[in-house]
Amino acid sequence: MSKKIGDVILDVQNISLRFGGVKALTDISFNVREREIRSIIGPNGAGKSSMLNCINGVYQPQEGSIVFRGQTFSQMNSRQVAEMGIARTFQNLALFKGMSVVDNIMTGRNLRIKSNLFMQAIRNPFGIGGAQREEEQHREFVEHIIDFLEIQAYRKTPVGQLSYGLQKRVDLGRALAMEPKVLLLDEPMAGMNLEEKQDMSRFILDVNDEFGTTVVLIEHDMGVVMDISDRVVVLDYGRKIGDGTPEEVRSNDEVIRAYLGTTN
Amino acid sequence: MQTTFPRLLLEQARLRPRDTAMREKKYGIWQVTSWADMAQLVEALACGLHQAGIVRGEHVVVVGANRPRLYATMLALQSLGAVPVPLYQDAVATECIFPINNAEVRFAIVEDQEQVDKMLEIRDRCPQLTHIYYDDPRGMRNYEEPGLHALDELVASGGVFATGHPGFFREQIELGEPEDVASLFFTSGTTGNPKGVVHTHANLIDRARAGIAFDRLTAQEEVLAYLPPAWIGQSIFSYAQWLVAGYVVNCPESSGTVTIDMNEVGPTYYFAPPRVFEGLLTNVMIRMEDAGAIKRAMFHYFMKVARRVGPAKMSGRPVGLSDRLLYALGNVLVYRPLRNSLGMSRIRVAYTAGEAIGPDLFTFYRSLGINLKQLYGQTETAVFVCLQPDDQAQADTVGVPCDGVEIKLSEDGEVLVRSPGLLKGYYKDPKATAEVLTEDGWYRTNDAGIIDAQGHLRIIDRVKDVGRLKGGPYDGALFAPKYVENKLKFFSYIKEAVAFGDQREKVCVMINIDFEAVGNWAERRGMPYAGYTDLAQKPQVYELILECVEKVNADLSEDAMLAGSQISRFLVLHKELDADDGELTRTNKVRRGFIGDKYRVLVDALYEGRSEQFIETQVKFEDGRTTTVSATLKIGDARTFSTMKGAA
Amino acid sequence: MAEAPGKRTHWDFNWRSANGFKGGTMAFFLETLLGGLMAGMLYSLVALGFVLIFKASGVFNFAQGAMVLFAALAMARFAEWAPAWFGFESKFLANLIAFALAAALMFVLAWLIERLVLRHLVNQEAATLLMATLGITYFIDGLGQTIFGSDIYRIDVGMPKDPAFVLESVFEGGVLVNLEDVYAACLAALLVALLSLFFQKTVTGRALRAVADDHQAAQSIGIPLNGIWVVVWCVAGIVALVAGIIWGSKLGVQFSLTTVALRALPVIILGGLTSVPGAIIGGLIIGVGEKLSEVYLGPYIGGGIEIWFAYALALVFLLFRPQGLFGEKIIDRV
Repeated sequence: MSKKIGDVILDVQNISLRFGGVKALTDISFNVREREIRSIIGPNGAGKSSMLNCINGVYQPQEGSIVFRGQTFSQMNSRQVAEMGIARTFQNLALFKGMSVVDNIMTGRNLRIKSNLFMQAIRNPFGIGGAQREEEQHREFVEHIIDFLEIQAYRKTPVGQLSYGLQKRVDLGRALAMEPKVLLLDEPMAGMNLEEKQDMSRFILDVNDEFGTTVVLIEHDMGVVMDISDRVVVLDYGRKIGDGTPEEVRSNDEVIRAYLGTTN
Repeated sequence: MQTTFPRLLLEQARLRPRDTAMREKKYGIWQVTSWADMAQLVEALACGLHQAGIVRGEHVVVVGANRPRLYATMLALQSLGAVPVPLYQDAVATECIFPINNAEVRFAIVEDQEQVDKMLEIRDRCPQLTHIYYDDPRGMRNYEEPGLHALDELVASGGVFATGHPGFFREQIELGEPEDVASLFFTSGTTGNPKGVVHTHANLIDRARAGIAFDRLTAQEEVLAYLPPAWIGQSIFSYAQWLVAGYVVNCPESSGTVTIDMNEVGPTYYFAPPRVFEGLLTNVMIRMEDAGAIKRAMFHYFMKVARRVGPAKMSGRPVGLSDRLLYALGNVLVYRPLRNSLGMSRIRVAYTAGEAIGPDLFTFYRSLGINLKQLYGQTETAVFVCLQPDDQAQADTVGVPCDGVEIKLSEDGEVLVRSPGLLKGYYKDPKATAEVLTEDGWYRTNDAGIIDAQGHLRIIDRVKDVGRLKGGPYDGALFAPKYVENKLKFFSYIKEAVAFGDQREKVCVMINIDFEAVGNWAERRGMPYAGYTDLAQKPQVYELILECVEKVNADLSEDAMLAGSQISRFLVLHKELDADDGELTRTNKVRRGFIGDKYRVLVDALYEGRSEQFIETQVKFEDGRTTTVSATLKIGDARTFSTMKGAA
Repeated sequence: MAEAPGKRTHWDFNWRSANGFKGGTMAFFLETLLGGLMAGMLYSLVALGFVLIFKASGVFNFAQGAMVLFAALAMARFAEWAPAWFGFESKFLANLIAFALAAALMFVLAWLIERLVLRHLVNQEAATLLMATLGITYFIDGLGQTIFGSDIYRIDVGMPKDPAFVLESVFEGGVLVNLEDVYAACLAALLVALLSLFFQKTVTGRALRAVADDHQAAQSIGIPLNGIWVVVWCVAGIVALVAGIIWGSKLGVQFSLTTVALRALPVIILGGLTSVPGAIIGGLIIGVGEKLSEVYLGPYIGGGIEIWFAYALALVFLLFRPQGLFGEKIIDRV
């Protein structure tokens, strides 16, 4: 296994985030290199999700900046972040439950569809001719994702009827449909049994390997993450307490203390 | 008119070049391979394989699901005079070692990463296995093992070679003879190593033709290839008969999509083991239980009509006008929609085989208007021995001998078969070959059977399990435990049954109730019960089971040879037989001997005529804890019926 | 009811016609049923406006009624003014231009509402949003009257006013059908069909459904919420325009048109706030129910059922099936 890890693609610089008087993140810095799997771990309430939401544009940190591919962004909403090539999945499944698996993943192609939504609605309300062809190309792309995630049997099934593990896969599929540069995964293995966790790990590794996608992964459970990550950031109480390869992090005293002291 | 598979391919490509040979669902679309495309692909593969060093007569394993390119590979190998050896794609790595070494395999052609990993894992124990080709490149990017290549490379280089040597492919095919070995099928014996069954082109093609003639199959058939290609049945349905008849074989998208794909394809010629038919029926029943009251009532009413009218209609017997009208109405309201949702609306011929099928299950499908039949055959006979004609399908027979087959029964009831489809022998195992092939060309099936008045074969058990009664009114009569047990198990209330009787004067049975079915039955009657043991000992449950037992006896008494197997006494066990307690095999078959020893007191009580017996048993839980279950079991006598000869 | 039962039996179809009441005939039943279905179709149309906006933005748009009036006013006055502005006589052309202009006006209105109001209220309480739409209601009412005047106007898009008899060969005297209603219902059905095509088959439609399902997820895949809201309000504007034209040409364009929206409330309760088919079927049920109850129950419990029937039915639903016929049951995941 030889993987070419590239330059820094995402640089988080001195981020601090407060909600009212409560400090969620304090002076966090780390970077993510191209094509690596970078994990952010930490006990419950360590600020992992806040960190992800900052990168994703859901929260605007009071201090610090985030540099993505040489571009600094501070006041951006999640749609603008999506446009820049950052996709995410959700810890508490935010799928479009009434829609089929295919339609859910197709929504991930929205940004790739050339004319903007409003103009498309006006100019070509029923998708005839060129738009139809474009739609077919996107559908083909989506079919490759369906094949990749091995969910062919559920194409037409409304997502709300699928098992939890499968919904997680659809969530991943929707993010992949955006062809993101960076993929943010918010606890992709939460609530899964061992077999589902192994499947998900394999998909994450395959995504990283086959598409060269950079992955930023948040996990609460250390076990699986350590096996698949290139580098790991450890947060505790909103502060960074460790950063390095899984081996380095595992032997870091402060990390051991944080984990022993709180959850495990 | 003897031929070989590659010659058949060229013939089909000449007859119907533009027609569809195979379809495979990929990326949500059915991708079509025409006969001309198929011939071209096989040529490229053959040339590629030749360049890679395949020599005439060598064995090559092919491992994977039903994929057009894997079937093409088998044809390519046969074109070069090599012998494809299909292995089960779900076998674990270590199970592949023996076949690969036994057949001195150098080349493995596999479907995907999963199979590659398996081959790599055993490579150090199979040193001669130097070349591995994979069809699906997914996940293979970072594999750098020597001798590992994509099938794509082979097709590409073979294509170039073919253009440079236009006559090569046909010359190679001409070198092949019908009596050459076509394939090697490994069968897993219950003990010892698997045995490689050697079949020639002539064997397989003859049997394929017999089956096609029997059911008048044409090039218009649609087949869904969803069982493992390593199983000879799949090989016959989606390879041998495909090449002879020139019909369309459809490969599902994945194992999870078979039901959806079946619906889309609408096969006309279909095979499934009984458990698949059972699973489909269960799904229908569950859906019906969830349906609205009107729909449910309609379903049950018309299924009753179907059971009354359907079988007669299917066998071409006359049916009254009002029944005909009711059936027609049922067809519009229930049967047709149901056939459609099962993906069976276009089926002309459907077969089941492998194990006994319950009469209710069998009748369900037939009464819906689906032409479900049974066949009898084994790997060693290239499948087709007996088949049921359309109008003579029954749950308890396996049909009449088809074209070219002779059957007879040996002294001890074993079915012997002589047919052009018999194996040439077991690979490198003359001893085993001699055990099954007699000098005058009969194959010993190891199955005990009887031939009924209509000439239909009926399989009753494995020969080694068939015993004899000793003493009593039926002294020396045949005792077929599995036959008796199966008959009992066809009642939904009975989950397992263990029959005793070999070297004894009468047959006694221990029965396991089906907790769910009997529980429901009890609830409908407002009978309270506290768990399995309590329910099993209810007098009403005894009555219920007694009724089942006596029905079986009545049935058995109709056959002079089996009348002796009627059940004299029975008891209902206080605990469920369980693989964790060693009472069942891991595939859920009863271990008769083990149970006989473990419950010796019960067996003795049965034969000593006691009316009840106390028993205490240890039960092991999944987590390893144990507990004891005890009960005083009531032992009942069942009525037996006299045959024509009069006895009992 | 003073008819003498005498020897007449219930299978004597025309037994009531002597009193000028022909409630017993099959033909009359069909007439009533058809009338109910047509009226129902129109209720559905208004209800659809509510459902569209609620699904996409979670806003219960109180201004839907006002939008209907506003659109109808625009249509009526533009049709009046267009010949003078552009110097032609054709009534057809005038209606066409009026429709285009009114539609454009509804688009502008939708854009303004999003820009000036909704954008600033993202993630606010439902009650706040409801109050905002109340404000919008009065604003649109006022704006409409300022621009277009406050008299009663007519919309004449050439819908036939004469009733017709159909099925004369089957029933004696045939079935009386109001052709205007038939046209209106067809128009409404066409609009509904187009809308469902738009929602199911187009990229924008899919994005709309996505937003309706989950705002946060929709944003994360780059669907612009603001843009979607403008599209939704535009669609709701077009629905209001079609409803306005139909109701307007039936009843005349006047302030009472806004109360049409109130008629749609029970429809939504019946069909569920989140279901497009629910809005349609709910409308049909209420339309038919009103007419049938008025005609067949009216004589026994007094007239005027038509007025309260829908609300009574809605109340029953609120008690026993608050999510409506097709609405999503709200079950929280554990």
